[in-house]
Amino acid sequence: MESVKKTKLDKKMDIIKQKEEVGLLENKSQNRALRRFLNNKLAVIGLIISIIILLAAIFAPIICKYFPQRVDILNRLQPPSLEHIFGTDKIGRDVFARVLYGGRVSIFVGIGSALGAAIIGVLIGSYAGYKGGLIDEIVMRISEIMMSFPQIVLVLLVVSIVGQSLWNLIVIFILTGWGSIYRMTRAKILSIREEEYVLALKAFGLNDIIICYKHMLPNALGPVLVNITLSTAMFILQEAALSFLGLGVPFNIPTWGNILNMAQDISVLKENWWIWLPVGTVISLFVMSVNFIGDGLRDSIDPTQQG
Amino acid sequence: MIVNRAMNDNAIITVDNLKIYFYTNQRCNKAVNGVSLKIKKGRTLCLVGESGCGKSTTALSIMRLLPELSRIEEGKIIYHSDEGDIRIDQLKKNGKKMRSLRGSDIAMIFQDPMIALNPVYTIGFQIIENIRCHTNMTKKEAKQRAIELLKDMGIPLPEQRINEYPHQYSGGMRQRAMIAMAMSCNPKVLIADEPTTSLDVTIQAQIFELMKKLKEKREASIMLITHDMGVVAELADDVVVMYMGNIVESGTLEEIFKSPTHPYTKALLKSIPVLGRGKNQEIEPIRGITPDPFKRPKGCQFNPRCDYYTDKCFKMPDNFEVTDTHSVRCWYYKKVSGNE
Amino acid sequence: MLFIITFLVFLGLELTPGDAVSYMVSPEALANISQQSLEQLRDSLGLNDPFIVRYFKWIRGVLKGDFGYSLSSGVPIYKIVFDRLSATLELSITALLISTFLGSILGIISALKKGSVLDNMLTFFGMIGVSIPQFFFGLVAILIFSLRLGWLPVGGRLLPGREAFLDTLPYLILPSLVLGLTMTAGVMRYARGSMLEAVNKEYIRTARSKGLSEWRVKLIHGLRVALSPIVVLIGFRLPMLIGGSVVIEQVFQWPGIGREFVSAVRFQNTPLVMMIALLFVLVMLISSFLIDLFIAMLDPRIRLE
Repeated sequence: MESVKKTKLDKKMDIIKQKEEVGLLENKSQNRALRRFLNNKLAVIGLIISIIILLAAIFAPIICKYFPQRVDILNRLQPPSLEHIFGTDKIGRDVFARVLYGGRVSIFVGIGSALGAAIIGVLIGSYAGYKGGLIDEIVMRISEIMMSFPQIVLVLLVVSIVGQSLWNLIVIFILTGWGSIYRMTRAKILSIREEEYVLALKAFGLNDIIICYKHMLPNALGPVLVNITLSTAMFILQEAALSFLGLGVPFNIPTWGNILNMAQDISVLKENWWIWLPVGTVISLFVMSVNFIGDGLRDSIDPTQQG
Repeated sequence: MIVNRAMNDNAIITVDNLKIYFYTNQRCNKAVNGVSLKIKKGRTLCLVGESGCGKSTTALSIMRLLPELSRIEEGKIIYHSDEGDIRIDQLKKNGKKMRSLRGSDIAMIFQDPMIALNPVYTIGFQIIENIRCHTNMTKKEAKQRAIELLKDMGIPLPEQRINEYPHQYSGGMRQRAMIAMAMSCNPKVLIADEPTTSLDVTIQAQIFELMKKLKEKREASIMLITHDMGVVAELADDVVVMYMGNIVESGTLEEIFKSPTHPYTKALLKSIPVLGRGKNQEIEPIRGITPDPFKRPKGCQFNPRCDYYTDKCFKMPDNFEVTDTHSVRCWYYKKVSGNE
Repeated sequence: MLFIITFLVFLGLELTPGDAVSYMVSPEALANISQQSLEQLRDSLGLNDPFIVRYFKWIRGVLKGDFGYSLSSGVPIYKIVFDRLSATLELSITALLISTFLGSILGIISALKKGSVLDNMLTFFGMIGVSIPQFFFGLVAILIFSLRLGWLPVGGRLLPGREAFLDTLPYLILPSLVLGLTMTAGVMRYARGSMLEAVNKEYIRTARSKGLSEWRVKLIHGLRVALSPIVVLIGFRLPMLIGGSVVIEQVFQWPGIGREFVSAVRFQNTPLVMMIALLFVLVMLISSFLIDLFIAMLDPRIRLE
């Protein structure tokens, strides 16, 4: 016979058991998903960090001393100081201001594209999935074609045809990105479609559109939320890459990627680390936080996960 | 927790005051809350109850196959092997001793063979794996044995079938294959968790025949989990009725069917149609609904739905022995059995 | 599918501003041509034919290897493509190999030891790898290894005059590692997820009920099933052989198709853009076919249908 040792898991279980017996846990059965999310340390940290960065970007005019466009040749290429927290760039612009203002644009592009792609994907996905038939087939084919290109290639392709601008970029992102949400919504709708309550609704004579959007859609929304979050992260990275290449947002508007574009110059890379290193770190931090939130959301919504 | 001393020599597995708690979603669910039963040699014990009453959990705990976020809180599980009593609850979950019991002394079959069998390996592979894990047979010998087993279980063309994959079998055949796999090392105990729930009624009957044959020919004891009283009537020698993590009544098949003494058992029997009673027989569903495991009633778990309930039922009833083999947990069992 | 895409590509080509002749014929031939001869030339090239006819003629040309000429340099496109292709393949195949093996192995180990310190560390690094912009990672790597430590060259592929493969090695290390490591993060997360899912299936419980050892349960039963999606992932990543290195090639000045593509886009060199796009499509279709092949090989349920 082997003796049973108390493991860490055992101790955690003991604590839960005691709480349960005292009745501490009873009222918390409200929002299980929320509870699980808040229990996920990484997700919460991610939430905090991304909110901090977001707020900093939104309140940029209050926080920054200098305008991001303000040129000051006399003070160019200054290392970080109390005057300029992140130093100045090649033509004397305050890097800190550029980072904060740039954040506005980059985050806007990220969230905007993700939301836009989600809205289109969900609308088309739910209706096409619900109705089936020819519409569904056609849309499926289109999305298959678009999804099989590596995203960057597709985006570059479209940029080469329609040219560069901030709004073009968002539209392009939406066009190349709606596919995955469409697929996901469609799959969920297909599985719900056969469930009995839908048949019942149909038997009551409810309009197709109402059935589709009012009754079936809310059940599919969980994963969509996760997708929006993770897409935001992806789009921010893509914007950064494109702007870095000089093919994203035009240069007159500062974005995180645009700022990094300067680092293509080897001397800047070597000597003026403050111009690109902080920006890159901020991007990485923000994207990582958003990814943590997305993962946390996914884990807390997933019914098979055992918290 | 004393059960039946007279039958003690007869038991192959004894479960004593078993408590199993689940810890998912940061809550504590007392899924099994003090269960005692015996699986007797050469007899079939049926564990009956609604979904969620803890019967599968009890069975899985005998095999120590409970999921990660759960544990045996208290109680004993004793396997009366030829070499002496083994405390299964105290063995290391996936340790050498436990693993040597699984598959060769105690075997288990599951509800849905389509998902319980690995789709990427042939049936033959999966049976042979079990054989070679517990015996010293060579590959060839094991393969021969597997073919014999398939034949025994009634699968046609076993030499060909042995190289096929689960999805190439029909539902009934898959279950037979799983039984073949479980019986391959001649276990003393076979635990079957709702083996026919996912099958057609006609196939169900065939599987029952097979199980009866197994019991006779191989002297195996069977523990059958089910929610279907019809299945119980077919196969059981002894019956244990569970509700919300407790055993409410246990006894032989005759005792339970002919003279039930617990309100729940009586209600269960009344709620199923019986062949032969005609189409005007009264079927009464049990009133009320199964309580939320986190908002349990005080004392006897059945009291909100019970016709005989009084304030005394707020205290968990003791276990009363009606006869040597028949016991029940209800304060009013005499009244219940009187009102036939 | 192929039909639609080539059609789209041709459409894009047609939208090129300027005279189609400028990219259909070599610049030398165009240099001293008179207006009249130009008209004749256009006629002979079928530029005055209806759209559909021109489309098919173009397809025929492509199949023969005539990709047209680059607008900016006048070099025949197929030459550009083939020159650059080998450089890109060097880089991407190395990165793909690194990421596939490293990612799968680490992901599987991570799943097997779920909750352990190793798992948490790997998951964390995986998260970083997926969040950090590839090019930023590259820049930092250059800063540390080339500029500060001076161990590896800053960029480019070869010094002129040296052709042997071993000579490219020092140049290859940094870009392929940067590309490979960032891709590893993605593969690792996927492999871990796939393995965790496989290990939670019913048949794993059945395997345990037979008394098999834990390692056998997890590897022979779990891994074998988890492998299927992981291998399929390889198929999905094949298009990255050409498209995935776009940014890295820019950062490291690696003379590959990616970099070529970027400058083509930048200078609105549409014929080149379109041709490379066509190449991507081809790779995509081939890999799609390979994916189906892999799935059939690994999952007997599909094989026998």
